Amino acid sequence: MSRQAAGLKAWIIQRLSAVYIVLFGSYLAIQLVFAPPASQAEFVAWVAAPLVALGLLLYIPLLLLHAWVGIRDVLIDYIKPYELRVGVLSFFALLLLGSGVWAIQAVLVARAMLSGPGITG
Amino acid sequence: MKIRVYRFNPERDTKPRMQSFEVATRPGMMLREALLDIRALDESFGFRHSCGEGVCGSDGMNVNGVNCLACITPLADLTEPVEVRPLPGRPVIRDLIVDMSQFYLQYKAVQPYLIRKEPLPEQEIPQTPAERDRLDGLYECILCGCCSTACPSFWWNPDKFHGPAALLQAWRFLADSRDQATDERLDALDGPYKLFRCHSIMNCVAVCPKELNPTKAIGHIKELMLEKAV
Repeated sequence: MSRQAAGLKAWIIQRLSAVYIVLFGSYLAIQLVFAPPASQAEFVAWVAAPLVALGLLLYIPLLLLHAWVGIRDVLIDYIKPYELRVGVLSFFALLLLGSGVWAIQAVLVARAMLSGPGITG
Repeated sequence: MKIRVYRFNPERDTKPRMQSFEVATRPGMMLREALLDIRALDESFGFRHSCGEGVCGSDGMNVNGVNCLACITPLADLTEPVEVRPLPGRPVIRDLIVDMSQFYLQYKAVQPYLIRKEPLPEQEIPQTPAERDRLDGLYECILCGCCSTACPSFWWNPDKFHGPAALLQAWRFLADSRDQATDERLDALDGPYKLFRCHSIMNCVAVCPKELNPTKAIGHIKELMLEKAV
């Protein structure tokens, strides 16, 4: 994160991402609690629906950015030794990046399954 | 009334201790008077005080876990036993006297004075009543340090985070129509530490003896920064 992104930008990223996370997160929670998919095939079809897939593809990076700013804040507050802080920051950066790549490929695979020859098993 | 006070003399003691005193209370008695009675019993007991009416900001201390000014804290409002400790997070010089140097350095860092780029006029610079009103709730700060020493972000980063008292003053000069260094002041506040360590915990608001609101002032600085950035 650049020096400029360290203060105001990080703060605004956290605030704006929070708005989307609350809105889309509420939609996900309501959908999964009140109309849960009956089978994996139904779940994949729901995830692959264009609007839901688009929403998820936006939700995943914003959630990760929000988490990154929050984790960074906690580590800046509590971890003083430079090497340890860089180490822990790197660990969380890789963890979040890995989770993001995995989650995005899951949505893309669902899209591919829906547009492919059909779901089996 | 039973009052337990923090005792520590770094030149003599290896660790701090709490010492109990029984103080005879009088109607309307403030904590400062009780501490003066304690000092009459033990003249080695140290605490700062001066005006006795909540103006000088000298006798900030932590009473039953809450920062306050002893001179305007009625004993009748306190639960026994009253535990009196120094302001948290600051190095103790002796008993309730703490070293506030870092607090003042942070205050100095926000350049708490009007900065003019134009030549100073012969007469005063007039303000409209509305411009003057913007300073209400800001200029009243007496720098007692109750807010900054109650702030966890200031505990963790007292050398880098300006703290609520200094940031309240930063906004006091940003909000002043006569000041001409808005951009420089905002540039100086950016980065992860000086302003943005504030997580709106609001301990500062809860303890301010003058009922000021540093969290709101910090929010105004962030809004102004955003406004200037887009």
